[in-house]
Formats: sequence, C-alpha cells, structure tokens
Amino acid sequence: METPQQGARQCPPRALPPVPSSFILHLTDEIPLSRPKRKKPKGKNALEGIVHAAVRRPSESSEPLTPEVQDAPPQRKRKKKRMPPESETSFTQQNVPNTSFFHTGNGMDPQPSEETVIRKHRKKTKKTRPAEIRCSNELGVEEEDIIEDEQTKSPDQQLVFAAPTGASQPVSKVFVEKNRHFQAADRTELVKTTENIDVFLDVKALWTTRDVALSVHRGFRVIGLFTHGFLAGYAVWNIIVIYILAGNKLSTLSNLLEQYKALAYPAQSFLYLLLAISTVSAFDRVDLAKASVAVRGFLTLDPAAIASFLYFVALILSLSQQMTSDRINLYTPPSENGSLWTAGAEEQILQPWIVVNLVVALLVGLSWLFLSYRPELDHSEELMFHAEVEEFPQLDKGLTVQS
Amino acid sequence: MLRTSNYSLVISLQFLLLVYDLFVNSFSELLRTAPVIQLVLFIIQDIAILFNIIIIFLMFFNTFVFQAGLVNLLFHKFKGTIVLSAAYLVLSIAFHVWVMNLRWKNATHFVWTDGLQALFVFQRLVAMLYCYFYKRTALHLGDPRFYQDSLWLRKEFAQVHS
Repeated sequence: METPQQGARQCPPRALPPVPSSFILHLTDEIPLSRPKRKKPKGKNALEGIVHAAVRRPSESSEPLTPEVQDAPPQRKRKKKRMPPESETSFTQQNVPNTSFFHTGNGMDPQPSEETVIRKHRKKTKKTRPAEIRCSNELGVEEEDIIEDEQTKSPDQQLVFAAPTGASQPVSKVFVEKNRHFQAADRTELVKTTENIDVFLDVKALWTTRDVALSVHRGFRVIGLFTHGFLAGYAVWNIIVIYILAGNKLSTLSNLLEQYKALAYPAQSFLYLLLAISTVSAFDRVDLAKASVAVRGFLTLDPAAIASFLYFVALILSLSQQMTSDRINLYTPPSENGSLWTAGAEEQILQPWIVVNLVVALLVGLSWLFLSYRPELDHSEELMFHAEVEEFPQLDKGLTVQS
Repeated sequence: MLRTSNYSLVISLQFLLLVYDLFVNSFSELLRTAPVIQLVLFIIQDIAILFNIIIIFLMFFNTFVFQAGLVNLLFHKFKGTIVLSAAYLVLSIAFHVWVMNLRWKNATHFVWTDGLQALFVFQRLVAMLYCYFYKRTALHLGDPRFYQDSLWLRKEFAQVHS
C-alpha cells in the first residue's frame, strides 16, 4: 500500500484523487485541520452512534489530508496501516456530509455497496501503473471518478443512505503535498503548468547546437546588414565634413587641421571598427573560406564577392592612413616648438589623405549598394549548414590523393 | 555529443573575447593617456587571443572526428583558422611590444615609422581575417555531424587503418 510519503517521493507534488466539492467544504471549512478525529464526542442515542460509526471511517480516511498525520503518535499510525485499503480512497460514496445521514436514518447497514467495492478495486489496480504516467493523469478528471446516480442507488444503500444524493463531481480544487502539508490548489492551473513543462522540454530537446550556430550566424548577418548602411552613411558624412572644412580647392587647410584634429583619431578608430565588421559580414556572404566558391563568385561578378573585394580594399586604404591621422591628431601650429607640421607642407600631407578618404567613402558606398541589392544573399549559410553531407566525401578523396 | 547549453556557453565566451579583441583594436589608440592603460589592454588582448585558440582546440578535441583518430582531416578542414590564429597572435604580440616600447616614456609622442605602419596594417588586416575565420569555425563546430558516427567517417577510418 502506498503511503503519502512514498507517493511524494515518486512524483512530487502528489495530488490526491478528486474529491467532491461538498466534502472539501466540509474538510476545509467546518473541521479545523489540527483537531484529531478520535476525540469527537460520541452521539447520545443509538442512531447517532451508528451514524457516527459509519462516518468515522471516511473521516479517518481523510486523515492523510490533515497536516497532523506526520506528527501523529505511533499507535495511530499502526491503526491506520491495519485499515482496509478501500478506506483511503473512498471519497465518493461514504464521504457524504454528516447532515445527510440524519435525514436517512432508517437503515442500519454501514457496509458499502458492491459497486463501490468493485470500483475501488479498479482504482487499486490503476495505482500499480508507473508513477510518471499517474502523476500527470491524476490531475485530470477520469470518467471512473464520476459516479452516476444509477450506480449509487443500490437497494441496500437506499435503506441506510437513502439520500447520499449528489453524484461525485469533479471540482476545481486538488490537494497537493507541499512542504509536508497538503494544500488546496487549482486543478486547471496544475494541469496547465505540467503541460507547459512538457512543451518547454520538447522545445529544449529540439533546439540543437546547429540551431544555435544558425541563429548566431543570422544574428551577425543582421548586424552586418545594419553596419553596411551605417558605414556608407558615416563615410559619406566624414568626407563631406572634410571637404567643407578644407574650403574651396583646399584653400583653408589650416582651418581643417584646427577643427578636425579632435575628430581625426576617433573617426579613424570608428571607421576601422565599422569596416572590420562590414568586411567580415561581406566575407560571410561570399563564404571566402571556400576558395573555389569565392573564386567562382568573383568570376561571375557576384554582388557579395564584389562587395567583399571593395571592403577589403577600403580597409587597407583606411589602415594605411593611420600615421597621417595620428599626425593630424597631434597637430600644433608650425610656429610652435616641437610641431610635427612645417609651414607649407600641409597640402602635401593632407591631399593624399583627403583623396584616400574620398575613395574609401566611394568604395563603402558602392559595396553597400551591391549588398543591399540582394540583402538575403548568403553563401555561408547554404554551404555550412545545408550542404555538409556532400562536402565530406570530396574532402576525403582530396586527402587520400595527397597522401 | 555536444550539449546545446554547453555549446551556447562556449560560443558566448568566444564571441565575448572576439568583441573585446575588436574593441581594443579599434579604440586602443584613443586610450593612450597613460601607457599603463594601453599595456593592460594589450596584455588582456593577447591573453584573450590565446584563450580563444585554446578554446577552439578544445572544441576540436571534443569532436568525434578527432576522437576517431582523424586529426589530419580536422586540421585540413580548419587549417585557415589555425594558421591565422597563430599568425595573429604573433603579429599582435610583436606590434604591442614595439608600440609599448616606443610609447612607454611618452604616451602622446608621435612614434610612427614606415615599419611600424606596415606592421600595424598587417596586424589589423590579419585581425579582421582571424575574426572571420574564427567565427566561421566556431559556428561550424556546432554542426552535430562532427559529434557522431557516419558512413564517410567509417570509410575514412578503414582507409587509415588498412
């Protein structure tokens, strides 16, 4: 026989079988949970005594529901063990409210009906199923738990309990053991949570490492797409600012140096950051790591391949201006001591720098146009995540030929 | 078999180190008010590159292909990443040593020579390539086919042992 503790160990939290709402009301509202059932005062007349004898069993059977069951003295536990197994699960027929017995005091047979016994046996066999299955099933309402009126109205029963009345109905409350106490919980919520856990576990099981890699790849592609546009705009803004500060035909270069020196190094650093991300993103699209695919892309003038090449050139050009950018950053008028700039040499240094910046702006602008023409184009994803099976045997052949 | 949670954690760590690397490459020149700041940034950057190389090798060792003894196959497939990572580590250390040596006395001093400029361009270019190849390899290693037995792997194994 399964004790509450064992049940809790198998599938915590354990829910008890469904209980009629009237009984729950009786348990929770009328009788304080801490009161021992044994100490109930006995009835004064014979009828009351019989009724009490009939009622005591069910009320004892409900003892596991009470929080006191853990702290009860050992004799009581032994007594409980000796109780017939039916008594623990018999909520449907015997657990009618006390008041109903007083209305039907014309019979003396306290035996439960045959149908009830059969049903209990069925329930008992059901309990031998694996705990996991039962754990989720217990929360639901089973047809067996609902007793129709025809079943209940056996002749014997009618004699003793003519009005045990209400058919067992599923209620919205179930008692779940939490922290060694049974607490009422909403049945629908419990069912929902278990279903959610199942769905969550299913999703987790389906989410493979390949999906993680694919989502990261796609995330980076989105970042790259944003960076392409941002870089194009930034480069155009940069060259416009430079030309405006340099004046007509580069006539005010000293003004450019004065104004732009605070901006030169941050602009250069930011340009490298954007160019690096954009180039990596463009390489991703053309799948540069596979030389054959990359060469084919260049030969067929694939937009991603052209953009990759343009970004790479722009990156080299931009990096080559690092020295000049630092020189502009450390600009002091030529008249000052220790100045890096000599009078009249500004144009010599600045003109190539301005031209390179213009070329970089044009290159990144063109690359952006090429890439934005087909923003969904991504050879890496096709080859890395979808065509791996064919790739391995070819590679193997190449290796064996080499060896 | 590689678990999804473990792989997500490793990928996050790798990307964090890559982002730090990109950040230092981009903005270390701006953070040169004191040479010590740059020195610390550079040391952490070099350690980050080293960590990334160690992580990618650990990922290689974790694959079924590697455990089946087909090390050559794996290295052939990812040789670009391995070579570039090693080259980038060497270039980074060289550039950092050179720059710190020149700037240790005066951080805001103009130190550029043609040689330093060339090394700078190479180091930054290889940094970009390293970033691309490393990212690609890390994502590629998420493919479950690297972690399970397959027909082509059995054939290859039989050829190696025959």
